[in-house]
Amino acid sequence: MKTFVARKTACCVVLLCLILAPTISYAQGAQSFGEWFERSLGSSAVPELVKQYGGVYIVPIQERLWLDEVFQRLVEVTERKELDYNLTVLDSPEYNAFALPGGYLFVTRGLLKAIAQDEAKLAAVLGHEIAHVEKKHGINAVLRQMGLTVLVEVGMLWLDVIPADLLRVASTTLLQLLHLGWGREAEYEADAVGQSLAVRAGFDGIGAVALLDDLLEADSFDLPMKVFRTHPDTKDRRYRVEERLTSFWSIPQFVPAAQLKEILIESRNYDQNRRSDPNNRFFVAKGLSSGLEVYDAQSEQRMLWLEDIKVKDFAWSPTGQYLALVVEQSSLTELWFVDRYGHVVQKLQPDVKYGRIVALSWSPRGEMLALQCSDGVEDQIMVTYVHTEVYLPVSGPLGGKEPIWLDEGLYFLRGEDWYHTSAPPTKPVVVPNPVPLVLQRQRILSPTVIREGDTIRLTRPSLVLP
Amino acid sequence: MKKLVRVILLNVIVLMVVSNQALSFADPSSLYTTEIPENWVYQAQRSNPHLSVFYGEGDYDLLYFQNLGPISDANVEAFVERTLALYEGPGGLQKFYLDKAPHQVEVAGERGLACVYSYEERSGVTLWEYRIFLILPDQQGFSIALGGRAPWNDQDYPVLTETLSQWRWLF
Repeated sequence: MKTFVARKTACCVVLLCLILAPTISYAQGAQSFGEWFERSLGSSAVPELVKQYGGVYIVPIQERLWLDEVFQRLVEVTERKELDYNLTVLDSPEYNAFALPGGYLFVTRGLLKAIAQDEAKLAAVLGHEIAHVEKKHGINAVLRQMGLTVLVEVGMLWLDVIPADLLRVASTTLLQLLHLGWGREAEYEADAVGQSLAVRAGFDGIGAVALLDDLLEADSFDLPMKVFRTHPDTKDRRYRVEERLTSFWSIPQFVPAAQLKEILIESRNYDQNRRSDPNNRFFVAKGLSSGLEVYDAQSEQRMLWLEDIKVKDFAWSPTGQYLALVVEQSSLTELWFVDRYGHVVQKLQPDVKYGRIVALSWSPRGEMLALQCSDGVEDQIMVTYVHTEVYLPVSGPLGGKEPIWLDEGLYFLRGEDWYHTSAPPTKPVVVPNPVPLVLQRQRILSPTVIREGDTIRLTRPSLVLP
Repeated sequence: MKKLVRVILLNVIVLMVVSNQALSFADPSSLYTTEIPENWVYQAQRSNPHLSVFYGEGDYDLLYFQNLGPISDANVEAFVERTLALYEGPGGLQKFYLDKAPHQVEVAGERGLACVYSYEERSGVTLWEYRIFLILPDQQGFSIALGGRAPWNDQDYPVLTETLSQWRWLF
């Protein structure tokens, strides 16, 4: 009975295609029908999309070389090698990005400008869009919408043909769906796959969090950022991409104490005297119940910073530019960053659920900090970024304390034993075959200084063109 | 009185000689040393270990040396051809015009190619640039550029002549 129904269905499809035969076009080369249809559908929608977004933007040479390098690194780690991914920049001030089936990716000029050469953010955007193609979100949404899933699947098996009218209708449907989004689950999946692609390609996965922070900020100011606008709730997505960051870290491995001792002796960036900054210019004295007593070796000055503030621990950044402080505020602890003049430049307040911060250690490149957090029962190591507020529990369910961050990775104590974990490796974008820069002079505007008795007044600088 | 005039004259001469003295410049990445005329000012904010930028007296006078790192061009001719094609092509320099075709030059024993081209900057001003292209050992691309408003001839590069005559590679 089943065989009879299947045969009947197949006969109907063959009959339908024979009727449509005069208007059909044939698939080319060794591609499967599905791939060919996907590619044809994507390419048929390209001209209309480019038109809608102000045409193609010609990216300046140096920026284009950088953009291509980020894009190529992502394409290299994709799974659908049969696709020929390509990227077009649209001449629109909007902050937006799209992906069409078959590997046609688009970002707007506005998005590139806002990202301002932040490779992690760009990798997050492109990774997300590539993920839509990798997971066939666009093509599946179109086929679902048109009720063509079965026809195309059967066609894939037996026919290798497609009516041209059908492609036209599908292309219109695709453009309509593109502006509505591919669906909630598809967006979550694109976030996950895109972030993973970016990390595999050597970019920092924090880019996705930073990008969503930008969107949240734009939302609060009601700025015209349309990227991911059709996507699920931004806060929820941010929560998910932050949660996922920990999974990219290596599983903590036991390190014999003798081995660690050897590593510490050989390590260039292990600072035994944490009180002096790396340039030995400032020295923080010990013993004050509140505030910081700082000595300037150059001017031989004694300074008292943050007089009424209880500082539990501190650490100089690797460049000596900032001092990170663990500050006690009533029942909570906060993480403060102080510049070399004693000014507080940033305050972070970790969620109460992580407990109180006990100790801290900078990453060798100074973009992250490892925090020892304690809820009174157990300690764990959390990692946060200086420019993006995230808290990643990296010491695993058994916890850890006394973080030491070296070039080789992050070491911490669990019970009596030392463990090692490390962030996923990142590599900077290096344009493979650069061309010389063409520079032009920049005019620096200087204010006029007017002294009036004990006060100094600065006038607004005026631009004088030569 | 005569003695006083002599002393003043001597001082003026000494001052003139001192004021024309060039400044020694050592590349931060220890690739080369050279001398820069004193009225050219190093621009720390625009420079980095691979790029050294100097501003001259004129509003558009610019001298800069760039170490591009590894490049894959087979020879300096291919390097120049690829660069000029990009400058001239989409996203390149506005109203690019090659005033003087690439010709051979030598910088402290290293053979390179130099050319002169003009282009229009954002505000519509036409700028000229004399650029030397070199491929150093280990396929390192290197460029020396002198930019400005003047449509120079071959003889009009006193700054460059002085800088190049004192150029020493440190490899």
